[in-house]
Amino acid sequence: MNKKAISLTVNGRVREALVPPRMLLSDFIRHELELPGTHVGCEHGVCGSCNVVVDGKAVRSCLMFAVQANGTEITTVEGYDTAEGLHPIQQAFWEEHGLQCGFCTPGMLAAAKELLAANPDPGDDEIREAISGNLCRCTGYEFIINAIRSAAKAMREAEIQKTLQPA
Amino acid sequence: MKPSAFDYECPTDLNAVLAMLGDTETETSILAGGQSLVPMMNYRLAAPERLVDINRLPDLDYIREDAGFVAIGALARHGEIKASELVGRHFPMMSEAYDWIAHAAVRNRGTLCGNLCHADPASEMPALMQVLDATLVVAKATGTREVTAQDFFVGTYETVLESDEMLTEVRIPIPEAGTGWGFEEVAMRKGDYAWCTVVATLRVVEGRIAAPRIAVSGVGDAAIRLGAQEETLAGAEPTSAVFEEIAAAAAAAVNPPNVEHISADYRRDLLRSLLPRVLSAAASRVAA
Amino acid sequence: MKSHLDTNVIPPSRQREAPRAGLTWIGQSIKRVEDPRILTGNGGYIDDFKVPGMAHAAMVSSPHAHARIVSIDTSRAKALPGVIGVYTGEDLASVVDPCPSFASPPIPQTAIAVGKVRHVGEVVAAVVAEDRYIAEDAAELVEVEWEVLPANVDIEASAAATGDALLHPDDRESNVALDESFNFGPVEEDFAAADHIIKRRLRWHRSSAQAIETCGVVAQFDPYKGGYTIHCNSNFYNFIPFVIGGSLRVSPGEMRIVPKLAGGSFGSKVFSHKIIILTAGLARLAGVPVKYIEDRLEHFTNSDSHGSDRLYDAELAVDKDGTFKSLRFTVLDDYGAYLQFGVGTHGNAMAQVTGPYTIGSFGMRVKAVLTNKCQQGPYRGFGSEVTNWLMERMVDAAANELGQDPLALREQNMIKPDAFPYMIPTGNIYDSGNFQKVLAEAKQMFDLDGWREKAKKMRAEGRCVGVGVATCMERSVYGPTEWWSLNNKETPGFTLTSTPESISVHFDPSGKLFVTLHSPMVGNSPETVVTQILAERLTVAPEDIVFNYSDSQSGFNGVGPQGSRFTAMIAGACVSASIKLEERLKRFGAHMLQRRPEDVELRNGMVAVKGLKDQEKSFGEIALTSSFFRLSFPDGEEFDSGLETTAVYDHPLSTDPDEDRKHLGIFYPIVGHICHIVAVEVDPGTGKVEMLDYAAVHDNGTIVNPRTLAGQVWGGTANGIGTTLSEQFHYNSDGQFTNPNFAEFAMPTANEMPRNFKLGHVETPSPFTEYGIKGGGEGGRLGAPSALTSAIEDALSDHGVKITSLPVTPPVLRGLIRDAEQMAAG
Ligand SMILES: Cc1cc2nc3c(=O)[nH]c(=O)nc-3n(C[C@H](O)[C@H](O)[C@H](O)COP(=O)(O)OP(=O)(O)OC[C@H]3O[C@@H](n4cnc5c(N)ncnc54)[C@H](O)[C@@H]3O)c2cc1C
Ligand code: FES
Ligand code: FES
Repeated sequence: MNKKAISLTVNGRVREALVPPRMLLSDFIRHELELPGTHVGCEHGVCGSCNVVVDGKAVRSCLMFAVQANGTEITTVEGYDTAEGLHPIQQAFWEEHGLQCGFCTPGMLAAAKELLAANPDPGDDEIREAISGNLCRCTGYEFIINAIRSAAKAMREAEIQKTLQPA
Repeated sequence: MKPSAFDYECPTDLNAVLAMLGDTETETSILAGGQSLVPMMNYRLAAPERLVDINRLPDLDYIREDAGFVAIGALARHGEIKASELVGRHFPMMSEAYDWIAHAAVRNRGTLCGNLCHADPASEMPALMQVLDATLVVAKATGTREVTAQDFFVGTYETVLESDEMLTEVRIPIPEAGTGWGFEEVAMRKGDYAWCTVVATLRVVEGRIAAPRIAVSGVGDAAIRLGAQEETLAGAEPTSAVFEEIAAAAAAAVNPPNVEHISADYRRDLLRSLLPRVLSAAASRVAA
Repeated sequence: MKSHLDTNVIPPSRQREAPRAGLTWIGQSIKRVEDPRILTGNGGYIDDFKVPGMAHAAMVSSPHAHARIVSIDTSRAKALPGVIGVYTGEDLASVVDPCPSFASPPIPQTAIAVGKVRHVGEVVAAVVAEDRYIAEDAAELVEVEWEVLPANVDIEASAAATGDALLHPDDRESNVALDESFNFGPVEEDFAAADHIIKRRLRWHRSSAQAIETCGVVAQFDPYKGGYTIHCNSNFYNFIPFVIGGSLRVSPGEMRIVPKLAGGSFGSKVFSHKIIILTAGLARLAGVPVKYIEDRLEHFTNSDSHGSDRLYDAELAVDKDGTFKSLRFTVLDDYGAYLQFGVGTHGNAMAQVTGPYTIGSFGMRVKAVLTNKCQQGPYRGFGSEVTNWLMERMVDAAANELGQDPLALREQNMIKPDAFPYMIPTGNIYDSGNFQKVLAEAKQMFDLDGWREKAKKMRAEGRCVGVGVATCMERSVYGPTEWWSLNNKETPGFTLTSTPESISVHFDPSGKLFVTLHSPMVGNSPETVVTQILAERLTVAPEDIVFNYSDSQSGFNGVGPQGSRFTAMIAGACVSASIKLEERLKRFGAHMLQRRPEDVELRNGMVAVKGLKDQEKSFGEIALTSSFFRLSFPDGEEFDSGLETTAVYDHPLSTDPDEDRKHLGIFYPIVGHICHIVAVEVDPGTGKVEMLDYAAVHDNGTIVNPRTLAGQVWGGTANGIGTTLSEQFHYNSDGQFTNPNFAEFAMPTANEMPRNFKLGHVETPSPFTEYGIKGGGEGGRLGAPSALTSAIEDALSDHGVKITSLPVTPPVLRGLIRDAEQMAAG
């Protein structure tokens, strides 16, 4: 099989690799890049636990081939927190008990991240809709919805704080 | 669940794609959004020898207004179409229907053209394209042809496309002002493929229905127009009695699949229940 | 009067920490200590784990429900570059024995089929290759010649099958693997004397937990380095490793099973021995470490964790004033192709089969029928979810036939608050409860009276709106007699009576409290719970507690999270450990303070002199001194270095079954109570159900962490909603499993959950467990199906629709409505 050379940016770091065309992006991220935070629950596009953010959009990494990611910029769950600590969405998931086993969580975070980037103040039904492509068998979703609502609030407040600060 | 091996090409020029499709030596599939093809490959229900990835073709992701129609290119994603102001203005039915098609992350990759080419009998857009009277632009190495949406769908996962052809554009005529529309679907969960989708557009001229178009999916091996019911409807008064009658006739006329646990009777019942709702919604949306 | 229960004497309580107000940590919704690592992608699930030189396995699965294997040709597969080996059932049998079977007499099951296959998805050969992609390529190249046998799909037909249709002709002469009858109390007499007998045929269809992570294993074998090292996500890795060792032909000393964080279980990872044995055997055959992670299709078709699948003919004897007298039923259980734990799920249901009601006697005939489907395993409720639904269906049926209000009938027959501990006819007890209070709270939270009025009005407008109430039991803290008490007395099998939980703790010299748990995390909150209890009991600061998990060789038996037992059981182990540690802390601390141990107490992480303010030594100082400065203390064993201990906690209250099975003993006595009330609207044209309002009140005794308990209730309720409205495994008449994927097996998404769910709690502590804690991991699924079914039936009362089978998917419900419409139309 002819391997293809790819180069992409993952969590801010340029990664280069030779991949067989059929290698799923999910496997590439997990096993080649050794970033295990992206989970695989179904490999047929339904559960959403493999969601990663590619060029700003949440997508199923089990339905993309790694070769297709050549030249893209990808954020996985490992790229959310900073030296200052957890990302506000992660923090909110912690505070609101938005996870139990945590298997769906990285996918939920990716969906939430995309939602909040586009809509800083979503209503509950918009949150529900945004995560409706992510199956969680543990939580019954309610606390995930609470978490995203409270993350939105925290992020809006942080935004206001920033604008209030002298340049 | 891992796909079989394949050769991978990713041309940046449409002619190269068409040339590869024309080479019949190698069994080739187009890879668009991958949201239908890749699950099938992961299950090894599909194992093409070669994938031609069209995602890097330039200038195919457009949604633009042209002379009396909106043109949607092969790389326009579901999500972009759903969010498009142009589409929302001219075809609010499409924006509404997209709420029921998969979920955000799938819509971020999946394309309308790929969706139509996949031709799942339970898919919504094939019905919408027929009601909206879309024309599909099909290219191959030797030239292009246009096919109406009504002629495009042949059966389950089957269209009129030849193996050397690619769908490059969908053209949807902008409906006449005052056209009303209705959309209803029933699926197990929101975002699942539909057990039954019913869509219609119509106008009301001097208290009578004009230019009705009805299409359904889920009740046969492909989405279909309900020509006979459209005929009955044309010139009739938009009353619930009329709609009920039409729905009963439509339900009797279709021949839905009878698969275990989702009986043909059930799908007929759905058509019977949804059609009056769709028609009265359409009638009530007719602008004064 | 002499009762069949006279010999079942309730032992005294072993509770040491009485339930009480004013606790510091117990009862707080602290943030989970497990979360930060999981939230950042470092949970450490099984598929995140790799070892050098590891190869990957893929399976060749049976396409047939029932067939003889005539021949298997692996030559093309073996020739594929990258393939290390291809193995059949015979190959595997050269290194491992059949899987453990707790059925008695056992029904043999091998991890790779030998001779014939008995369900679609059963493994016939396995490939080990450099990567999973190549392994799957090779699996496609294995050629199997089949002789197809008749497929048994229908329970009743399978029970009557003969000849080639027998699943296990060498071990059973019929597909009925077990057929036992029981009478607990004067069933015949009660039925003979009753004014009304309510009869229903009720059907509960198969689904399963489908945690988002499947089961997986990484196994290594090196005879010179201790044998097998097995990493896996099993719940049960540290309770019965010797049984797995038995199958692997090694002693537990030659096998180390290491737990990984499991991505959800809900029972599905309890009985996951087969995949362990399979992967370990492959590692031994291939001579390299092997990883095998089930893909979703394999998890659906071959995980041995399908849920209950039962057909009941039930009867409730009722007096004309509405008093329930007796309950009896015959149940045919569609067990699938094997019987790994016998009829344990029926044993479980015996814990609370008569619900929250005073019913004097109970009778049952249980027939376990083998069919050509994947075998059953645990799923949240473990069989009691079905009898809860049955009981509530029978009560609704009685109300309907007697023309009584279903709620009033429930209230009339409910066990009163002063009747605890209350022994039910099977011999199990309910330790404590206040069902009336739970109901009252739920009614108020839901505004039941208001809703009933509203629903009536809406129905008058032609809308199909209804309200359903369910009052159900949630047994917790299981005792293991449920596994075998329904077996034939002549062949009771392995009559296990222990279900311990244990813990190891020590202060390191820096003052951190190191805790080793002896059972895994599966999505529950073991570290958080233990943190709260140890902080409470020892006054240690939560941030000073550090967690580790033992492997099967480094910690005593832990049964782990299942049967809603973990929180109550680990609380017991924590209290035992705390008592021992407290004694050592005080001994060393008192010596350092030059006081007597009786004169000091634990205070805010210090050993402090009673009644004095500044006379204290921090745990850190004591730990340091006791670890490094032996000569600061007197001679003698009691001053051996360090502050460490191990503690084991046994089931707080259990007794043996009666020898003649007049009763089953006490085995699941720590009972919670739940009330779910839901309002629904049915679209009669489409059969779609919308939940308009939902309230649930649960009583799980003393609550350790209200928010994590609420999470369990939510999650369980979501499972119950799926069970009721959308989830069913479909096997067609050929035994093909037609919807083994997440697109067609429809688990609820956020969109399918009720919009305004209200959750309340009542706390009736247990008199038997530490602090009065009860389990609460299953309640949502134990209550939601009953309430929802009732509400739907109420919504369709004008149509006369009766619901006797779950799930009621839109096509099913529309079918019932269509039948009713046709009946009405004549
Ligand atoms: C979880 C989930 C839920 C979904 N729910 C729905 C739903 O409710 N309703 C629904 O309609 N769909 C649903 N889908 C499918 C989705 O709409 C797909 O995006 C769509 O069917 C295929 O589009 P694609 O661009 O991804 O095509 P691909 O998957 O890339 O291709 C599909 C097929 O079309 C061919 N093809 C693609 N583009 C072209 C072209 N331009 N010319 C010729 N041939 C082409 C490919 O070779 C392939 O055979 C769902 C998918 C998922 C994963
Ligand atoms: S693993 Fe990709 S959607 Fe489930
Ligand atoms: S937290 Fe376990 S699947 Fe969502």
